Amino acid sequence: MIGHYVALIKRELWEHRSIFVTPIAIASVVMLGTLTALVFVGEFQDELYLAIFAAQNAAGADIPRKAVLTGLFIGSSWLFLLSLGVLTVFYALDSLYAERKDKSILFWRSLPVTDAETVISKLFTALFVIPAIAMIGIMATHLVNLVITSLWVSSKGGDAGMLIWGSVSLFDNWFAMIIVLFAIAIWMSPFIGWFLFVSAWTKRSPLLMAFLPLILIPMFEGIFLRSTHFMESVWGRSAQIPIFTGIDIKLFFDEDNPMHSAANMPEEMVSLLTHLDVGKFVTSVDTWIGIVVCGLLTTAAIYVRRYRDES
Amino acid sequence: MTSLVTARGVSKHFGAVRAVDNVSFEIEKGKILGLIGPNGAGKTTLLKAMLGLTDCDGDLSVIGLDPFRQRKQLMREICFIADVAVLPRWIRVKQLLDYVEAVHPNFTRARAEELLRQTKVQANAKVKELSKGMVTQLHLAIIMAIDAKLLVLDEPTLGLDILFRKEFYANLLNDYFDEERTILITTHQVEEIENLLTDIMFINDGRILLDSPMDALGETYIELMTSGEKAQKARGLGPMAESQIFGKSVMLYEGVSREQLEGLGEIRIPSVADLFVAKIKEARK
Repeated sequence: MIGHYVALIKRELWEHRSIFVTPIAIASVVMLGTLTALVFVGEFQDELYLAIFAAQNAAGADIPRKAVLTGLFIGSSWLFLLSLGVLTVFYALDSLYAERKDKSILFWRSLPVTDAETVISKLFTALFVIPAIAMIGIMATHLVNLVITSLWVSSKGGDAGMLIWGSVSLFDNWFAMIIVLFAIAIWMSPFIGWFLFVSAWTKRSPLLMAFLPLILIPMFEGIFLRSTHFMESVWGRSAQIPIFTGIDIKLFFDEDNPMHSAANMPEEMVSLLTHLDVGKFVTSVDTWIGIVVCGLLTTAAIYVRRYRDES
Repeated sequence: MTSLVTARGVSKHFGAVRAVDNVSFEIEKGKILGLIGPNGAGKTTLLKAMLGLTDCDGDLSVIGLDPFRQRKQLMREICFIADVAVLPRWIRVKQLLDYVEAVHPNFTRARAEELLRQTKVQANAKVKELSKGMVTQLHLAIIMAIDAKLLVLDEPTLGLDILFRKEFYANLLNDYFDEERTILITTHQVEEIENLLTDIMFINDGRILLDSPMDALGETYIELMTSGEKAQKARGLGPMAESQIFGKSVMLYEGVSREQLEGLGEIRIPSVADLFVAKIKEARK
């Protein structure tokens, strides 16, 4: 029985190879970037030796080191997050459209798989499989980057064990990253539901059909109702995710604030995990509204695939 | 005889158009039924209703299931190839077998692989790299490896050359068909399959014009080739159709006894194609 569902997910990965090719491509770019940066930094030989020497001797200063490394971690992960978003949009839009375009839908429907199972396997892929594969990409990138950096630091006479591995809260950050990834997926799930529905429903250009209403509705709302509810709740949704604690990110850029200097940061603030509030996310009404909207749109996609005559 | 498909007053409307108009029929186990009809006759709609791809009015039962509402169970027991059921182009042969093996409880992979070994289809090839004939061979290998109670073939050989078509039907008859299985075929090339069929059904404008076992056709329908005065006499017996070939008249009779026609010319059983044309013309009068 499980094999049945695993086959449905495998099918998605066979068809949409970009789901794993994209993370591999990004991981390669990030690693290449690290190598280039190290070679570039290597130009400043003298300053470098001094910096490594200073870092090793500054016994109490592992907080800024941690902060810098966490920053680098998050920095390289954003690239994954961004491409993941784009990937998911294109995947969801293509998932129920391609089988109609290449006319293979009747073949798929000749097998004992219900329309609900098919559509839900695509939703599952968008919500969980794509983030999971991206997470593997993120972890691999982190590890390879740390190894490259350690080798480099060692080659310059630095103590990589202490400077790099001792200063990085790897599992904390990964765990936080996993939470953020899946929270974003669930938070944005009404969009995935919308894209699946458009993919099942439209006869042509799913990308246009999906985005046109998202652009026109706020325009008309602004012109006729003089309000921006749609704009705020739909386009503004990605910025409103209730997973982060109330820390104002601007503090880090405010020179008058003691937090501006990483050295003054309390240790627990360095870990990304402390900035997350899962309870707030799970109990937010907006999270649940999103899940319900996603459920309704997915049901509509199933209904269209089941009831529409394709010939 | 057990009835595999039972239709009672089945109709399907598209707006004002009646694609299938109050049809009733039964298909028994172990039969090979040819469903013949001109384009737009409603045969595809009828097949779709039987395969649970579209809803319909009336009572329709396929292997005891409601096709539309119990489609998943139905698809475990029946198979279909439609000319429009194209295999996905991006998939590899091996992946396709993996997928069908995982989702279909009645699929025997070894059987499909054995059938594929007789072809040039490679396990690692993508469907888009195969010729049309090879794609059909692949599809057929999958279908023949499924232990299904009912196999529905909707124009299965469309666009294939004559060699392949002959081979296709020979395989179907020799390797697949047995008394436990039932096959339903629609095709335009009726002369190619008429020797294969046990039963035949004509459909036109959503209605069934003929539903008969093949061996009973010769009792009801007779073709007479005649000329001259005999032709005049034969015309008096009310043929349903008449055509001229090499100066001779060919007349087709329904329900006229062999004794009445004997002595008027050469008597034979009409071909399905001729009968079909006559029936359609009669219906359009």
